[in-house]
Amino acid sequence: MSRSVQYTSSPLLASRTPVWRSKFVVGAIALAFFGLAARAAYIQVIANDFFQRQGEVRFARTLDLPANRGRILDRNGLILASSVPAPSIWAIPEDVDLDKAQLQRLAKLLELPVADISKKLANEDKTFVWLKRQVDEDTAKQIAALNLKGIYQRKEYKREYPEGESAVHVVGFTNVEDNGQEGVELTFNKALAGHSGSRRVIKDRLGRVVEDVGEQIPPTEGRDLQLSIDSKVQFFAFQKLRDSVLENKAKAGSVVVLDVQTGEVLALANYPSYSPAKRVNLTGAQLRNRALTDTFEPGSTMKPFVIALALEKGLVKPETVIQTAPGHMTVGGSTITDAHPHGPLTVNEVIQKSSNVGTVKMAMQMQPREMWEMFSQVGLGQKPQVPFPGVVSGRLRAYKTWRPIEQATMSYGYGLSTSLFQLARAYSVFARDGELVPVTLLKSPERSLGVQVIEVRHAHAVLNMLHMVTGPGGTAPKAQTMGYSVGGKTGTAHKQEGKGYAAKKYRGFFVGVAPIDNPRIVVAVMIDEPSNGKYFGGDVAAPVFSETVQQTLRMMGVQPDMAVRPQVVAQAVEESF
Amino acid sequence: MIRLNLVLLVAVLVSAVYLVGVQYDSRRLFTDLDKARNDARRLESDYERLQVQKRAQATPARVERLAKEKLHMRQATPGITTYVTYSAPTGPQASEVVHSGGISTKGAVP
Repeated sequence: MSRSVQYTSSPLLASRTPVWRSKFVVGAIALAFFGLAARAAYIQVIANDFFQRQGEVRFARTLDLPANRGRILDRNGLILASSVPAPSIWAIPEDVDLDKAQLQRLAKLLELPVADISKKLANEDKTFVWLKRQVDEDTAKQIAALNLKGIYQRKEYKREYPEGESAVHVVGFTNVEDNGQEGVELTFNKALAGHSGSRRVIKDRLGRVVEDVGEQIPPTEGRDLQLSIDSKVQFFAFQKLRDSVLENKAKAGSVVVLDVQTGEVLALANYPSYSPAKRVNLTGAQLRNRALTDTFEPGSTMKPFVIALALEKGLVKPETVIQTAPGHMTVGGSTITDAHPHGPLTVNEVIQKSSNVGTVKMAMQMQPREMWEMFSQVGLGQKPQVPFPGVVSGRLRAYKTWRPIEQATMSYGYGLSTSLFQLARAYSVFARDGELVPVTLLKSPERSLGVQVIEVRHAHAVLNMLHMVTGPGGTAPKAQTMGYSVGGKTGTAHKQEGKGYAAKKYRGFFVGVAPIDNPRIVVAVMIDEPSNGKYFGGDVAAPVFSETVQQTLRMMGVQPDMAVRPQVVAQAVEESF
Repeated sequence: MIRLNLVLLVAVLVSAVYLVGVQYDSRRLFTDLDKARNDARRLESDYERLQVQKRAQATPARVERLAKEKLHMRQATPGITTYVTYSAPTGPQASEVVHSGGISTKGAVP
């Protein structure tokens, strides 16, 4: 039991403490304060930046602001390509812990075999695996609803191409990273893609954005691109071409439709084609935009240019008679023949019947330089100025190297090469009063400025000859179309194979304009290796021309310029209720 | 003097507490705003997706197939089309029939 003592009378207070003790304590406390002050100064002043940064790292985030890829539209504003959200599903294998039922449900939603998913998730060393890229939004929502641990989604965009295979050669497609791979998607990739921006934000504990810090860099949205293509014309051209290629058991085919007034490309179709949505096992044959990237010897479709030159030089008049009997002639030791011997023909008839002998007789009166200039002026041997990957220039050799036989064969389209696109453009000379029209793939509704190549009256004279080709006695009565007057030139060329010409392989062409009095469009058709008996351009290509012209002019609202025998609908199809 | 200091001290405290409240509100509102913006973006991309879907349902290929199979329509030709030109409304006859083709235009594929 201790005895209690009053504080004031505590004997401890009475004892004297040494002075150094209190000094020591004061000193120690002072030192501690000094330490604190020094530390504060260090944090606030000297190393402020470091700590500020460390703090920011823990709550500030830089968010990416992705730019939307621009749309591709046709001339009427209809969508040819557009990006839609398509989330990608990814996982951290280590975190994933699925029971069998969950795994099966996931596999069903992703439309993948269970084994595939298990395999992907088995590798626990990886911290990231794609389960499936770019699924559609509904599927993504359902997967999110499953609420599986370790499975995440990343927002991505997918390109949709509503027109499918008919326009794919023009529009092209993008890869999974949204970069253009083909067609317009590739050439205009930069403009379409835009630039992504970024913003710096502060996030709270729950990951919500609570504040913007610093300046935002807004994204530059991708530009929309309006093409000159008319999706309806494009579809019909593709459809007619496909029908013809299949019917003639041909290898391939192309159609080009140009607006003569504006130089716009209304349609550019190729067959075989492919669906941009299903791009597995694609072959080069399907991928190629033949109309622009393939060159060939244009055959008889060159003749009108030689005739035009002959008119320009005053060598002949349309009514001048040329003796083509006996249907063959010799130039520099080689023989040039006509398919059928004709006898005396006027210049008009030389085109109408497509006589090689008649054309060569005119060509041999010209200088090689003059012919070369004519061909160059209409764009042969030069790359068409269209923004497209893989555009070729064709081949037109320097005139100094021409031998007489070569000059002769070139007059009917052998020994030089061109793409169908170049050929279509060249024919605009006849359709536009002697002007060569500049072509464009982008919408430009104003009348374009052309380059005068031949005189107006000569262009009209050739146009008249082209019209005769489609009339009775011409090589292409099948090019006629109801309601509209047309004109054009057939071409049937042997295909080159190795060093010589293949015996039974042909290309059939038809290039023409319509309506003849006031031409609005140029349509060029090429059918490659028709092998169902018929192979003349007038038989395989002219029908495609006819139907394409019919549809295109109707779509453009051009009135028929020819009287049509009224067709009374004999029996209407049974009414459906 | 002491009273003034006390008043100022109270004022500082009140203002500090008020500041905390305002800051909190502002962050909450900012979060809402951000959420609304996200929603707007999502709706926009939904709109785009639906536009594409609509367009995919109205491609010439599909329209033609349905017109032919379901509605038993057929291609219009100039032979069964009546062309009407429209000139500026100067006279009573603003439009004039240029070419009268057939009788029935029923069943023309647009």
